[in-house]
Amino acid sequence: MKAITIDQKKCVGCRNCEMACAYEKSQETCEVMFSNIRVSDYVGRGFVVPMTCFHCTEAWCMKMCPAHAITRDPETNAVIINPNRCAGCKMCILSCPYGNIHFDHVHMVSHKCDLCGGKPRCVTHCISGALRYEEVGSDGLRYRKDVLPEETRG
Amino acid sequence: MQERKTYHSICRMCGSGCGVDVEVENNRIVKVSGNEENDINRGRICIKGSSAATWLNLPERLRKPLKKTANGFVEIPLEQAMDEIAAKMKELQDTYGKQAVAGWKGEGTGFNQNEQLMRRFNRAIGSPNYFSNNTQCNNSRYEAFYLNYGCWPQADFRHTKLAIFWGTNSPAAHSFWTQDLNEGRDRGARSIVIDTKYNEQAHIADLFVIVRPGSDAVLAYGIIHRMIERGVVNQEYVDTFTLGYDKLKVYAERFTGEYVEKITGVKPEVIETIVDMIQAAGRQVCSWPGTGVEHQANGVSNSRVCSLVDALVGAIDVSGGMLINENMKTNSLVLGDDVPVEGEPIGKSVYPVVDYFKKESHTLMLMDTILTGKYEGRDYPFKGLIMTAADPVMTEANTAKTIQALSSLELFVVKDLFLTKTAELADYVIPAACNYARDELYFNGMEQSVYLAEKVVEEPLQTEYEFLKGLADRLGAGQYFPWKNEREVIEYMIEPSGFTYEDLQKYPSGLRTVLVHYHKPEERLAKGEKPFPTPTGKIEICSTVLEQFGYPGIPTIDHLPDCILQKDEEYPYICMTGARKIPYFHGRYRNIPQILKAHPHAEAEMHEADAEDLGLKEGDMIRVTSRVGSIEIPVHIMKHDTIARSAVQITHGWENANANYLTDDSDRDPISGFPNLKTFGIRIEKL
Repeated sequence: MKAITIDQKKCVGCRNCEMACAYEKSQETCEVMFSNIRVSDYVGRGFVVPMTCFHCTEAWCMKMCPAHAITRDPETNAVIINPNRCAGCKMCILSCPYGNIHFDHVHMVSHKCDLCGGKPRCVTHCISGALRYEEVGSDGLRYRKDVLPEETRG
Repeated sequence: MQERKTYHSICRMCGSGCGVDVEVENNRIVKVSGNEENDINRGRICIKGSSAATWLNLPERLRKPLKKTANGFVEIPLEQAMDEIAAKMKELQDTYGKQAVAGWKGEGTGFNQNEQLMRRFNRAIGSPNYFSNNTQCNNSRYEAFYLNYGCWPQADFRHTKLAIFWGTNSPAAHSFWTQDLNEGRDRGARSIVIDTKYNEQAHIADLFVIVRPGSDAVLAYGIIHRMIERGVVNQEYVDTFTLGYDKLKVYAERFTGEYVEKITGVKPEVIETIVDMIQAAGRQVCSWPGTGVEHQANGVSNSRVCSLVDALVGAIDVSGGMLINENMKTNSLVLGDDVPVEGEPIGKSVYPVVDYFKKESHTLMLMDTILTGKYEGRDYPFKGLIMTAADPVMTEANTAKTIQALSSLELFVVKDLFLTKTAELADYVIPAACNYARDELYFNGMEQSVYLAEKVVEEPLQTEYEFLKGLADRLGAGQYFPWKNEREVIEYMIEPSGFTYEDLQKYPSGLRTVLVHYHKPEERLAKGEKPFPTPTGKIEICSTVLEQFGYPGIPTIDHLPDCILQKDEEYPYICMTGARKIPYFHGRYRNIPQILKAHPHAEAEMHEADAEDLGLKEGDMIRVTSRVGSIEIPVHIMKHDTIARSAVQITHGWENANANYLTDDSDRDPISGFPNLKTFGIRIEKL
């Protein structure tokens, strides 16, 4: 199973991911409100992290959606909102524990990451290497050895 | 449905040269992505790179040659434009001398190959001059590195233990360095960012040090002073491979902790931490001077001294340090001294070191020469300028003077993709084929790889080679442009390497020309050869080239900005221009609609305490006035001490708030002639 993983300590807050996602989805603008990935930059604390949908195994948004607009793509495992079915009730936004679903105030529907059909544009625009689209184990964690310095690996 | 084909090429949205996959449908570029097989950027590109698919297809792209008439621009056939331009060039050269006309190479459509072609063209028509924006950006560091090492070393961030970034923000300027450094960090590398402003680079730094504008080199000397006192210098290396260390040692003594803190605002304990980090890194240190340090009154010296931090621990040509790169043998397109020219190059007598290393004329002095008809008091008519894909109205210091000078030429030709502010001043505007409509040979120094920046679409537009060859043919200099097209140019260039054009096509993600290996200076010394390509064969801490031209040999900090020493009551704030923003590259890309929507205007970035003193809130409009000019611009307030106090940063490239209306073309570095773009006094009024 492939997923977008985030190595927070590599992120420089360049926002190429946000701009690329916004444009990929809107074909009109790079403005952040159209993006499914959002960079939170806590400048005073020196902490920055991009956040995008984890496509949870137990997706609360999917369970909550009264319009049955949210389904899982069997090929990519992505949890996807069908904008034609979405009623704009925002229940999914309330149910997401991570704040990774956003609202489109023009079309009055929710929007979130759909993994770009298996070629996520945010990852290919992540110039720092913080975002990866990679195989992950069933627990969703990258193998520990990948993130530890060479000399400490067993 | 049209068939979609994907080609590998090299991105030209900035100068970094990332490998890209260009998807083409019906001879139209529809998508640009990173090329996963390319070792430079490994499948990742920035928003500029992928936005080429929009930019190059904009309806505003120039398609027809334009001629300026009393009623504005009118479209004319290309052949007529070429004939008229050539005839005017000939008339001007016959009337005023060969020096009266020259070409200026811009960066909009290609890399080094276009530079070589323009240099060739200028000499072929008998001009002593060659112009480009490099006399205002990049050359200062070129000279600094060549003075120190006799070459420009490459930073090996992937294997380093400590990277020090001086006034540079690689996520915006060289995006793949960010990935390189993060790979290094996976192996335990640390990094220090020294800047006047918290930037993207600083987000992953172990130590971020804020300095006052124009004081970087004072901090570098403070570090070197403590390295010497604490014995962190690699003495054996310094004794064997460097020249002038004793002089540096004496000069560095004045940079005491107390003095450095007074000038830079950096406390002595921070310097101790930096020296601790250098000591822990052994010889695997990259101390990289960025553009921020070269645009100052001591630009060359600043770059030299920042770069010496790694040389003093012996980090030159070692893995994780600064690679002395090797290249395959190629034929240069630049013509030799056997082809005669008339007149003296503009700038050579004033900045001889620029001529010594770069053979490049000075664009700021060109503006004065155009306007006065004199160069250094001597008659010097300069009447015709042929410019390819450059936009000095946005990028040259002192915009008002630049516009006045370019408007007063008898012949001004601009070849570009769009009708830029500079092109609006031209007598003739020739539409340019974009980089994806021509082949170019591209070389990456760190990978020591060669690439074919491949043509992927047919555009019914002229390439720079066709343009220059067309003019040369008409001017009787056609023998210097014997090649039918750029493929033949490339075949000529790579002929001595043993590689062929077909090899380049076969390996579109790069061909390693020479395998990287280190410790070459040690090997050369053992063989009795000169270890470094400087006149003495050593790293010239004390430069024999500078001494030959009457400058001090060691990097000296002689011109600290007045505003650092004492607050100027009339212009109490220090303006810095030129910090790059991720989605833009100098004057370009404000016409990409999706990017402009996200980043719609210029900003004057300032410290929140300064904004409070001035009664300013986020977005308030202010008038910024320097000794040269004035602009109106909204304020962006930087919180959490992320910019030096009294400093104001304004990124250039905005038509309605052009920072170069403020910059002074006459305040220059004595060695390179670079304008001081980073420390000039301004006053601020709330509107």
